[in-house]
Amino acid sequence: MIQRDNIRAQVLVLNWRDAIRNVGALLIDAKSITSDYVDGMIQAVEEMGPYIVIMPGFAIAHAAPSEAVLKNDTALITLKEGVNFGSPNDPVYLVFCLCCTDRTAHRASLQEIAKRLLAEGVMERIKNAQSVDEIMACL
Amino acid sequence: MRIQAVCGFGCGSSLFLKIKLDEVLQANGLSAEIFCGDVGTCLSQNCDAIFISEELADRVQDRAKVPVVVINNFMNKQEVEEKTLAFFKNQAQEN
Repeated sequence: MIQRDNIRAQVLVLNWRDAIRNVGALLIDAKSITSDYVDGMIQAVEEMGPYIVIMPGFAIAHAAPSEAVLKNDTALITLKEGVNFGSPNDPVYLVFCLCCTDRTAHRASLQEIAKRLLAEGVMERIKNAQSVDEIMACL
Repeated sequence: MRIQAVCGFGCGSSLFLKIKLDEVLQANGLSAEIFCGDVGTCLSQNCDAIFISEELADRVQDRAKVPVVVINNFMNKQEVEEKTLAFFKNQAQEN
């Protein structure tokens, strides 16, 4: 599951880049990635467009496995005010971040997280949660 | 039947799409192998269809030799279901 230290509720950000930097900072603190990975996540959106906003209000920030990934990990922030990525699924309130050392190692755990996030009503409850405890209770 | 779910790197959003597709197939009694791919190499992977987000579809649509199914909201079960069923129906008619 997502580590408690890797979750923040109701974060104030300036824009989508800032949102990605914020969620990325949690994984830097957890010693799971280097700052190069954060740049990679932002670059991916700049190059390929906002495809990471895979459903209304929800973005899954990630970059390719690389040396900038120190271990498999995930993080999640919710935003006090939604930000636009230029996607039909804007505004985004939940930014889920994922890093993996290769393309397959994390699949089982990610699948588990995805299933919980996608359960009926869970996203809405997480969006409205005011504290990390409240978010943890939803997962 | 092999369906490739494609995202930027083949390890993040495509996995979410795979989960939804598996769900839809199961609910409709259909069977197919769903695997994840990345937009850079998906065209060289052997598959019968590519399921991909709107933003990335432009990069493969012209060159793909298999049907490309564009999904706007990966988690909208209705959208995924309608497009998946339409794809299977088309396949059945062609064969």
